[in-house]
Amino acid sequence: MAAKGQMNVEHLGGVARLREEHQKVVKDCESRILHWKKVSGDYEALTERLQTLPDQLSYDITVPFGPLAFMPGKLVHTNEVTALLGDNWFAKCSTKQAQKIVDHRMKYVKSEISDLSKTMKNFEARVGLVRDLESISSVRCITTRFLTYEMWTLKAANALTLLIPQSKGDYVDIREDTENTSDIAVTKGKQRIAHKPNSKPKLDAVLDLKEEDEEKEGSRKCTTTEEELWARLDELEKLEELQDDHDRLSYNANMNGEDTSSLSSEEEKEGDAAPAVNELAHSEARASSGRKAEEAAAEEDDDEEEEGSCLPTIFFSHTIEPKKVRINTGKNTMLKFSERKEQKEHSKRKKKNGHSNGHSHHELHKITTPVDIYRLFVDVKNGEPVPRKSILKSRSRENSVCSDTSESSAADFEEGRRAVGRSFSHDETTQSDTSDGVTEEESPTAALLHRASRFEAFSGTVVEKEPMPSAVPYLTISPPALPTILERKQEEVAPDVAPPQQAPKRLSKFKAARLQQN
Amino acid sequence: MAEALQKKLKAEVDKFTLMQKDVSKSMSARQKLETQLAENNIVKEELDLLDTTNTVYKLIGPVLVKQDLEEAKATVTKRLEYINGEIQRYESLLKDLEKKSDQHRELLSSLQQEYQKAQGLAVGKV
Repeated sequence: MAAKGQMNVEHLGGVARLREEHQKVVKDCESRILHWKKVSGDYEALTERLQTLPDQLSYDITVPFGPLAFMPGKLVHTNEVTALLGDNWFAKCSTKQAQKIVDHRMKYVKSEISDLSKTMKNFEARVGLVRDLESISSVRCITTRFLTYEMWTLKAANALTLLIPQSKGDYVDIREDTENTSDIAVTKGKQRIAHKPNSKPKLDAVLDLKEEDEEKEGSRKCTTTEEELWARLDELEKLEELQDDHDRLSYNANMNGEDTSSLSSEEEKEGDAAPAVNELAHSEARASSGRKAEEAAAEEDDDEEEEGSCLPTIFFSHTIEPKKVRINTGKNTMLKFSERKEQKEHSKRKKKNGHSNGHSHHELHKITTPVDIYRLFVDVKNGEPVPRKSILKSRSRENSVCSDTSESSAADFEEGRRAVGRSFSHDETTQSDTSDGVTEEESPTAALLHRASRFEAFSGTVVEKEPMPSAVPYLTISPPALPTILERKQEEVAPDVAPPQQAPKRLSKFKAARLQQN
Repeated sequence: MAEALQKKLKAEVDKFTLMQKDVSKSMSARQKLETQLAENNIVKEELDLLDTTNTVYKLIGPVLVKQDLEEAKATVTKRLEYINGEIQRYESLLKDLEKKSDQHRELLSSLQQEYQKAQGLAVGKV
């Protein structure tokens, strides 16, 4: 965090220097313009003199002799003028010819003035932009410096999002976009880090809010922003406590679901949070909604889901639809983040789907301990939840106590392998976005296949557990659900049609198969 | 070892600064030539505008020397060509100098790294 803070400070310094350089250019332009204006004034006076000079044949004048003396004299040959052509070349000419020369030069001077004024305007605009950028980066720098890693957890993000009032969020949104465009125009060469849409948006919103305050106050001093930030942090902490239960539910569920991946994603968030540029890049990402870089913490998605209607800022920064993470094997029991979201929706908004995949998650909303997870993963057999022995093991069959058919068990096995191999799946994003409940309402197998049929935008695998040994052959070819898994399966498919035992443990089946193989 | 490196580094740095000076000198000379070029262009235009009735003078020191218009035009043209040639010469010189300075800069950076490593090692040892 310190390193990132430092980076921010460097960024801030760089931005400040940029602004100074721009201002230097502007000043230089100004001085040059002044100079040329003086020159043009001189030439105008000269034109006047040239016009009036030939009115008389001679003038009575007081001629200066040296610096201190004057002599009365006459000015003769009023029409003859020796004009300097440049580079120590002179030409004797009449006043009219001299007038032409002067006109020529005036043209040149005017063009120079116009060029300089254009440049000055351009650089003035740049200075304004850099000033805005500086204010943003200064706010961000302070924020990141003081926000700890914990702040970047779901709780913090939640609290942050909740704090932001709607109107301000909207305003902030627009500001971000303009910042982006202006940066593009200015082409400062900032790196647009395609960071994961995690906790950044919330911070951005906060930062923008702070920035807004700054703007309103009309001061860009870091100190004042700092104080504001501290005050805000205090508020946030209070809110965090208030939000604790709510957060814990999603957070814990998430943690259980995606231990390493969530951590990694959090770290990524952290990494992305630091640089000032990220804000702009992030706003870019936000502007292009529907962008799902990788497994973002579904917690955030859930939060966004909740806040989505009222906080557009946060909403579109993340993937539209939280991924459905199939932690569990089996057709019926899949702990998906969307499930959690649905739970939240059920609890908070409309309770359209009362069930999902045979889960009785109504009363199992609260996941406070890992044990709760196991409570969730139950096999609904004959309408009664029967706790499973192992979450990762696929259910032998759905809604039936025993299954003797090898296909079903094999299919389950396949799904289990799939689920084991891939903690996350991204395929249902659009689908579930539109109709969360609908997907849940589908029959488990249908849902599984349905999901499988949909294209997986992101087929990265976060292997939480070591997948089943590849030596173990597939008993049947699974439906073409996930490309990556499919390939693996195809590689490993061994047409060993060893009749799998109907033992509940898949391991035993594997062993049996292996034994049979051997 | 570190000291030897340090000496080497200093020598290289001096060389590099000299090179940079040369570069800047040639740059400034080129800029002067550029301004002269612009001026002479203006003079040429003006001379073209003049007709033979006007007398052209050249300022040599404190003296204004009468010149023929045609002569003046020829002189100015010749001067222009000369200036252009000089500019090109300076440009090529500048390029060479820049290349050399870049090479030198790389050498310097590598030496610096070595020196830092050596220093680090020395510190570690100590």
